This record gives sequence, structure tokens and C-alpha cells, in this order.
Amino acid sequence: MIQVMLWMPVAVGLLCFAAPRRAVPILAVAGSAAVLGLAIAVVAGFDTAEPGLQQTVNESWIPDLGVRYQLGVDGISLFLLSLTAVLWTAATVFSALRTPERRRIYFFMLGLGETAALGAFLAQDLLLFVLFFDLMLVPFWFLIGAFGGENRIAATTKMIVYTLVGSLLMLVAAIATAILASDQVGHLSFSLADLSAHTVSTSSQYWIFCFFAAAFLIKMPAVLVHGWLPDAYKAAPLPVLVLLSGVLSKVGAYGFLRVALPLFPQAVVHFQELILVIGVGGILYGSIMAFTQTNVRLIAGYSSIAQLGFITIGIFSLRPDGADGAVLQMVNHGLVVGAIFLVVALLWERTGTEDLVRLGGMAFRAPVLAALFLIVTLATLAMPGSANFIGEFYILIGVFQSKIVYSFVAAIGVVLAAFYAIRLFQRSMHNRKPDGIASSELSLRDVAVLAPLVACIVGLALYPGLILGRSDAAVKDKIAATCPRLPAGKPQPGWTGYAPIPVPDRCSSGHPEISVIK
Amino acid sequence: MSATTYGWLVLAFPLAGFLINAFGWRVLPGRAAGWIGTAAIGLAFLNAIGALVMVLDKPVAGRELTSTLWTYASAAGLDIKVNILVDPLSVFMILIVSGVSTLIHLYSVAYLDSDRGYARYFAYLNFFVFSMLLLVLAGNFVLLIVGWAFVGFASYALISFWYRRNTATKAGMKAFVINVIGDVGLVFAAFFIFRELGSFDYLTVFHAAPQHFATNQGVVIAICLLLLVGAFAKSAQLPLHTWLPDAMEGPTPVSALIHAATMVTAGVYLIGRTYPFFELAPTAADISAFIGLATLLFAATCALAVTDLKRIIAYSTISQIGYMVVGVSIGAYAAGFFHLMSHAFFKALLFMSAGSVISAMAGTQDIDRMGGLRRAMPFTAVVMTIGALALAGFPGTAGFFSKDEILAFAAHRGGFYWIFTVGGYIGALLTAFYAFRIIFRVFWGEPVAEASELEHGHLAHSEPENPMTGETEDTDVGFPGQEHHIAERDRPMWLAMAALAFLSIFGGVLQIPGLDDVIDKFLHGSFLDSTLYERFPSIAADWEGLAVGGTVALIGIAAAYRVYVARPGTSAALIRRFRAIHTFLVNRWYFDQLYDAVVYRPTIAVGRFANDVVERVVVQGIVVVVVDVVRGVGVVVRGAQSGFVRAYALLLIGGFAALGLYFLIVSS
Repeated sequence: MIQVMLWMPVAVGLLCFAAPRRAVPILAVAGSAAVLGLAIAVVAGFDTAEPGLQQTVNESWIPDLGVRYQLGVDGISLFLLSLTAVLWTAATVFSALRTPERRRIYFFMLGLGETAALGAFLAQDLLLFVLFFDLMLVPFWFLIGAFGGENRIAATTKMIVYTLVGSLLMLVAAIATAILASDQVGHLSFSLADLSAHTVSTSSQYWIFCFFAAAFLIKMPAVLVHGWLPDAYKAAPLPVLVLLSGVLSKVGAYGFLRVALPLFPQAVVHFQELILVIGVGGILYGSIMAFTQTNVRLIAGYSSIAQLGFITIGIFSLRPDGADGAVLQMVNHGLVVGAIFLVVALLWERTGTEDLVRLGGMAFRAPVLAALFLIVTLATLAMPGSANFIGEFYILIGVFQSKIVYSFVAAIGVVLAAFYAIRLFQRSMHNRKPDGIASSELSLRDVAVLAPLVACIVGLALYPGLILGRSDAAVKDKIAATCPRLPAGKPQPGWTGYAPIPVPDRCSSGHPEISVIK
Repeated sequence: MSATTYGWLVLAFPLAGFLINAFGWRVLPGRAAGWIGTAAIGLAFLNAIGALVMVLDKPVAGRELTSTLWTYASAAGLDIKVNILVDPLSVFMILIVSGVSTLIHLYSVAYLDSDRGYARYFAYLNFFVFSMLLLVLAGNFVLLIVGWAFVGFASYALISFWYRRNTATKAGMKAFVINVIGDVGLVFAAFFIFRELGSFDYLTVFHAAPQHFATNQGVVIAICLLLLVGAFAKSAQLPLHTWLPDAMEGPTPVSALIHAATMVTAGVYLIGRTYPFFELAPTAADISAFIGLATLLFAATCALAVTDLKRIIAYSTISQIGYMVVGVSIGAYAAGFFHLMSHAFFKALLFMSAGSVISAMAGTQDIDRMGGLRRAMPFTAVVMTIGALALAGFPGTAGFFSKDEILAFAAHRGGFYWIFTVGGYIGALLTAFYAFRIIFRVFWGEPVAEASELEHGHLAHSEPENPMTGETEDTDVGFPGQEHHIAERDRPMWLAMAALAFLSIFGGVLQIPGLDDVIDKFLHGSFLDSTLYERFPSIAADWEGLAVGGTVALIGIAAAYRVYVARPGTSAALIRRFRAIHTFLVNRWYFDQLYDAVVYRPTIAVGRFANDVVERVVVQGIVVVVVDVVRGVGVVVRGAQSGFVRAYALLLIGGFAALGLYFLIVSS
């Protein structure tokens, strides 16, 4: 099933070249909807208790190099696949209703992008992951470079320079890992299972981890390596931006969980504080930048930096609660940021501007748009009651119990988020409507795209346990990899049993019973 | 049905009302939205009575009932459920919240009649009450935080209800952000509690706390102080009070709702609810009490000088909440909650009367421009005076019994707690004075033009304008409606105010020292482990306190009479004489300016710095260098930038294709 899901988008994209011009959008929508259906089926068939991979595919691909075509789903990637399918469907439907120029190549590139993103989430072989990771960029360069707005060439160049650096570092690191580990494994293997069972020596881990981290952080992007973000966000077509910000940024964070934690456990513990500093820095910097901007896209863009900062520190709390929150927050953020960019697109269609200074008063004639946007805004600022709050709550309690100081600093980001999110909402929807802009209610085709996304946000708000319950087992498994391995014979303070040490630390399960302390 | 079933129904009805109004805004005719909203809250009140009956049925020691609906978000050892706790305290709160809210809804049915956002208004209003009920019924800290934030959001939505006013949207933002600060405080309190005790569940935590903590252990104090951050942000205590006066931008019934039934009392409830922590951390409790005292005095002085009718009442709320905070912090739980109840009655009444007066004045809120409305609107004059008497603590009214009981408890507790008694009486003197400043300025004196017009049966009318900026406004959605409504002419308003006037006078009989101690006895079920609860002053001491309080109130009222009625020029003379103090008070001790200079401007400056320096120079600077290098390379290989993009993309695609081909060949 996951094989079909993985290759269907690109197949449909190819089919677009053969189909008659008018049928292309319909075909693309049908293709993305089918993928969505498969993604839902994968969720439905998921075994919650199983921490390992499910629905695995394991074929030899390039035996000489030890590269295998290995796919699989676990609790971490499960909902990221769904998120990918949901946002791609939304973006495809949104684009199809507007029938862009050069539609064949456009929808083909969308399909290729979806396959690449799904592939990155599914790959269980390090080299396969790297390939999908890089393949993902190709369609986006095309989509931004060919369909973007002003300055698109400069923006794509910048994006290439940044991501190329990351990609190359990652490729080198991946090959190095496989070669260094080949002594222990016995043969050259890129399989994540092999590599995590036989981690390389601590000193090698350090530099390899740094290479991977650079690639992931650029992809997210984290603060100080986000130089490509403002231009790319300003230039990208909005449906593409939904995907760029909603899905692609998550691949970086996902990479930490999938690759860095199991493969480089000592390095992860070693660099924990460094990454926490980068994450917290991203939270503060992104939030502060978000409320000085007046361009709506950049507000959402910088808020993404802040949100990915939260996700990063959640993972690097190196506790299951923090990492669970990070997984949940990846999905949440994808949904809300996707919805925000769709709203921005609708605002643009109505007013011809993306500048807050020239916006305002939209709620007057478009109350439904305002109401939907309000829900999205509240989710963005992680208001308690939303799934985003539960995500941040888990992240912060993880960091709180792991490195308490960072949680307090990160909390400033929570307050700032309230400020910039409400500001974004008010300045576009409330106050008086400036002269010269039109305000009109959502049409049915807009509702068809926006309402399902908002429904997802509300649904998750009512039951975030849907994701947490399924990610928990796999996340604990990944976090356990970073715990010191006790010599055999002694009972391991693991995730299944009761913690023998009364002091709660990162590697004991949950919390000691209260009754113990008298 | 069990008490918890009633508890769930109490939540279900306002939520249903909210959903009906939210989705039916386009189709609901006339006042339908208003009546649906009122009915929803009314039904919640009936179910609250049901819960009361069921709780009373149980023995005193077994009145804490919980019920879980679904597991909300449990993973990694955190157990977060949607569960409620129905105990005497929460039942007491839901009765007040739903009861007073019903009357406020009823009042709004008429008051907001001509507003084009009628259904939206009632949707928000129902959501507000739902949030508050969720807050008081929540059975664990996470659900409490959810209700807590919902209340904050609902207040934001209603404060900026007239969203085309810049002042309203700004005030909404301020309320929201300050409330989020409070939320963060609560979240971290919950983190500490979880770290120490391993649960978010109220009953588990409260039972475990006394065994786990030593008295005044650092971490308990930390928990309490973080809880106080939440409580003070919501209850508008120093230094997080600045949002509340600005919250007057909302429609007047909203002010009644925020000040009387919902929201600002949440902080008092929180301190009472988490009393096991505060009794383990007496230092934190004392800090809380002193802040309450400071707030009550500070706000009372502001109320002396401010001239905006609604803002005077707003400062009076801050001041009265100060009394409650003092009460629950020093251990006078029953008295604190008793005052919460009587305050809900007379404060809702005062705001409703103010709404009626403002309508009669065609939107004017400045008491300097009011006067002599006594004959024009006799009903409003009578009930507002009743409200002012209760606020001032006039002997026999509800406010008299409740406020003075807190002060008597403080006197009885010994140690330095007499400070609260003395400070409380000083506050009471100021309260009586400013309460009757309102009455005498608005209803006595020479009738202003609007008043004499109204006496001839004509309700003044002027084009709606923003009372803060004087901008004119149209009456389409997002601005106040065209028509004005006064209690004398609209039955629902009249009814709501009459009911509250009755309660403001006779609400005190619930707890007359020596006669009946209904609230004391009832709330005891929630404070069984308290060491302070039973330390009531003797009946004689209570009556002594009441006598002092009554005298103070009479002195204050007499002083106001002398200044504003007997010798009308006195006030102006005093202002001239003490100009510096007056300016200081009119500017509300310059708190807003202080925050502007210390918090807001620096934050914006940091943002500018980040934008202009860090982003432009550091981040983009690196990029420019790199891009130049690449451009150089590009020139060397004779590829334009776009060519470079295409080349690399094609290379990757080609590479993939080649790999795929290789794979096909190898595997075949």
C-alpha cells in the first residue's frame, strides 16, 4: 500500500502530460485525493502498540553499495504522511480551481514533490532518505523559479546555495557513516536498522552529527541559517508556500528523530545544549521578527522559525514527553501554517496586497473568512484547547524536566506568539477598512479548501491523543537510543518497566509513584 | 441523575447555545439569538441547582465527585483527561456564574437590540459563560488552563466586539496578551506540580501535597507564586491590572459579565481551589494578601479621580477583588467567596445601571457631563443607588456582611494581620466615597439637557461616536447599534436589574453572624483539610467588625454628600488645591506609561534592531557574500543564474533517472 501511495503522485503527474489540457486539473486533484485516501487507510490500519516499523518494504537496490530500497511506517512518520497528503490535496485543489498557466508541468512538479516528501518520510535506508531529501528540492526550484513572483530567480539561487551546502554535507556524512560502520556491520550498509544497531565511534559521531544537523537546520530553517527564507517566501506562489512551509520544513525536524537520534546517540547527548540554544534562539528571534514585519507572508514565515524552534527543543529535551510533543507539533504547525497561507492567498485575491499596513476591516463583509481565520490564529498562538497547546505543553514539560532554564526562556516565545498572531489577525480582519481594497465573502470553492483544513485543526484540538497515542511507542524507542546502555544482567530502567531509580531523570519512565515518597 | 451528570449538563447548554448562535447567525430572526442565548444559560443555572441538590444529599466528607468524559492527551507518563470535579466550591461558583450570567443575558437581549452583530454577540457571550463554567468545573490543572485561556479569549472577542474601533481592538489585544502571561504562569505552576507530585489531577495532587512538601519549602512557594501570576493576570491585581479599565471598550453588559459573573473572579477561585498549596506556603499566601491590599487601596484612589463612568466602576472592581484576594489568602475562604457572591450581584447591577444611564446620555460616559438624571429615570436611579449602597457596605446590604467578615477574620487571626483590617477599612471609606460620587454626580444636581429631554419623554439621540477619541462611527457591523435602550422602557433590562437589586439588598442574609452561616457550612466540604477554615472569629467580634464597617460606610457617604451635594464647588476646589495628586490619580499612577516605556517600547526596539541589523547585516550579509561567490563561479562556467538553476535541477533529475535505470538493469 505504501508503495502505491509513494509513487502514485509522480505517476499521476506524468499522466498529466498525456491527458487533454482541460482534464489535467481534475486528474491532479483525483490523484492527490487518492493519495489522501491511502494515507487515511495507513492510519486506520496502524498498530498503536508497535514501536517498530510497519508495512515494511525491503528490496535490494544497489547491492554493490549496500543501498536497499527500504520503506516503512512508524508512529513518528505516520501522521507526517497524512499531513503531506492533506496539504498536497489542499494545494492541488486550490491550484486546480484557479487553473494556472503551463498546468501540465505545474501539476507534474507538484506530484514529484509529493512523492519526494512521502519518500523522505518513508525511507528506512539512509541513502534513500538523502536521495528523497534532495529530490524534494527539484520540483520546488521549478515551482518557485517558474511560477513565482518578483525576484524569483534571486530567491531560488539563494535557496539553492543554502540547501546545496546542507545536502552535500549530508551526503558526505551519510557515506561516511556507512563506511565507518561497515566494520561492525560486516558489509557496507545504509540501512537505518543496521546503522543504529552498530553506531560509529563517539568521536566520529560528533562531526557526522554536525553535518547532518547543518542540513536539517537549514531545511527547517533554524535561526541564522534562515537567510534563504524571506526571499523564497516572498517569491513562492502561495499554494507552493503551503507545502514549503507546511511539509518541507518538517523533514528537517523529522530527520533529527529518524536519523540523528538513533545513529548518533552520544553526539546527540553531547550537542544537546547547543541545539537547545539554537532552538530557543529561533523561538525568540522568529517571534520578534514576526511582529516587526508588515508583510503577511513574512509574519507567517518567521513564526515558522519560532515554531520549528519549539519542535527542535522538544526533540532535544531527549525525553519522550518533549519528543511526543514535537511530533504532534509538527503536524499541528503544518496544518495551521498551511491554512494561514491559504488565507493569505485569499486576501491577496481580494485586496491585491499582502501588506498589513494596507489591509484591514475584512471581517466586515467576510465574516466567515474572519471566523475561520480566527480559529487558525488561535491555533497558531497555541491557545489552550487547541492541539498546538498540547504540543507545546508536552514540548515545554519535556524541556522543563530536562533543562529547566530553556523552558523558561522558551515561554517568552509563547507570550510573543500571542502578540504577533493577534496582531496579524486584527490588522487584516479588524479595524476600519482602508480605502481602495475590496472585501468579499468566501466563495464556495474557497470554503472547499479552507474549511476541511480548519476542520482538521478543530478535530485535533478535541482529540490530540489521536497522534500522541500512536507516536508514543516509536518516540520512546528513539529516545531510548540516547540513553546510556547499562551492562547486561542489570534490569534496564526502560520504558516498559518501572523505574528503579526514584529520582526522575531523562531515562527513567515517566515519574516515580507519589506513594513512594512519604 | 448524579451531581456530575448535572455538572456536564451545566457545560453542555452554554456550549450548545454558542454553537446555535455561531452557526445560525444568518438565519436567526429578530431577538431569537438573544433568547436562545439566555435560555441556554438559564438551563445551565437550573442544572447547577440540580447539582447543588445532589451534592447536599451527600455527607459533608463525601462531597467531592469526579467524572471523566474522555482521555484527552495521554502519553509519555502524562495523564490528561477531560474530567470535572463537582464539589461545594465548584457548585457554589457555577451557581453564581450561571445565575448572574442569565440576568446579564436577559439584559443584553434588549440592550444590544439594534446592533448588527447581535447573533455574534450572543455566540461570544455564551462561549464566555461556557469557558468560565469549564474553568470552575475542571478536575485537573490542564483543563483548568484550557478554561482559563478560553475565558481570556472570550474576553478578547467581546472587548474588541466593536472591532472597527481602533481603541477597542487595541484594548482587546492588551487583555489577551496580559492573559497569556497569566496562562504561562499557570502552565509552569502545573509543570512544577507534575514534576513534584506526578499528576495534574486536583484531588490526587491536593491529597499528596501535605505529605510531600515541608511548610514553606522553596518549590511550594514557587508553585504558589506562579499560580498567583495566573490569578493576578485574570483578576486584574497589581501589577497586571492595566487591561481591565481598557476592557471598558466592550459593550456595557460585557463589562457586567467580565466584572461580576465571570473572569475576574477566576483568580480568587484559583487561590481558593489550590488552598492546600497556599497553606503549605504561608509566605506566598502573605505576599498574595499584601498585593491584594495594595491593589484595593490603589484602585480605590484611582476611582476617586477618574471621570469615565464605566472606568470608575472598573477600578471599583479591581479594588473589590483586592478584598477577595486578601480574604482567600489569609484563610477567610468562606468570607472571601461570600464577598465574591455579593460583589457579583451589586457589580452586575451597577454596570447595568451604568448602561442604562449611558444610553440615556446617548453614549456619553463622562460623569462631568451628567447630572440630574434622578427624575428622568427613577428606576435606574433607585437600583443604582441600591448597588452603590451595597458597594459602600451600607448596613444591611449584601456588601456590608461580606466585606466586613473578611476584615473581622483578619483582625481575629492575630499577628500582623491587623494591617489588613485597618487597610481594608481605609479602602472601605474611599469606596463609600467614590460609590456615592457616582450617584450624586449622575442623579443629583441640575438636570443636563439630555435629562430634561428625557423627562419630556424623548430619549436623547446622537450619532454614535467613539467615547475615547470622539470619532464618528457608522452603525453597520462592528460598531454600536443606532438605537439606545434604557431600563425604564425595556422590560428585559428592567427585570434583570430588579432581580439584582433584590439580591444586592437581601443576598447578605445567607450569612449573618450568629444567625445562619449557610455559606460557611456549605463550602466546608471543599476545605476539609484546611487548618485555617475553622478559625472563625466569635460572633461578638464579627458584630464589632460589622459595626465599625457600617460606621465607616456612613462616614464615606456623608463626606461624598458634603462634597458633591451640600457644597457643589468643593470638588473643583480640592482639585485645584491638590493638582499634582489629582493628575497622578487621573493618570492611574502612570502604570500604562510605565509599561509602555519599560516593556512595550524596548520590545519593539529589539524587534527593529533584529530586523534592521541582525537580519540585514548578519543573515543577509552572509548570503550576499555566498551569492557573489556563486555568481563568480557562474560567470566562469558561462551560466546565467537561471541557467544554473535549471542545470542543477536537470542534473538531479538526470541522476535519479540514471539511478533508476541502473536499478532496473541490476535487478533484471
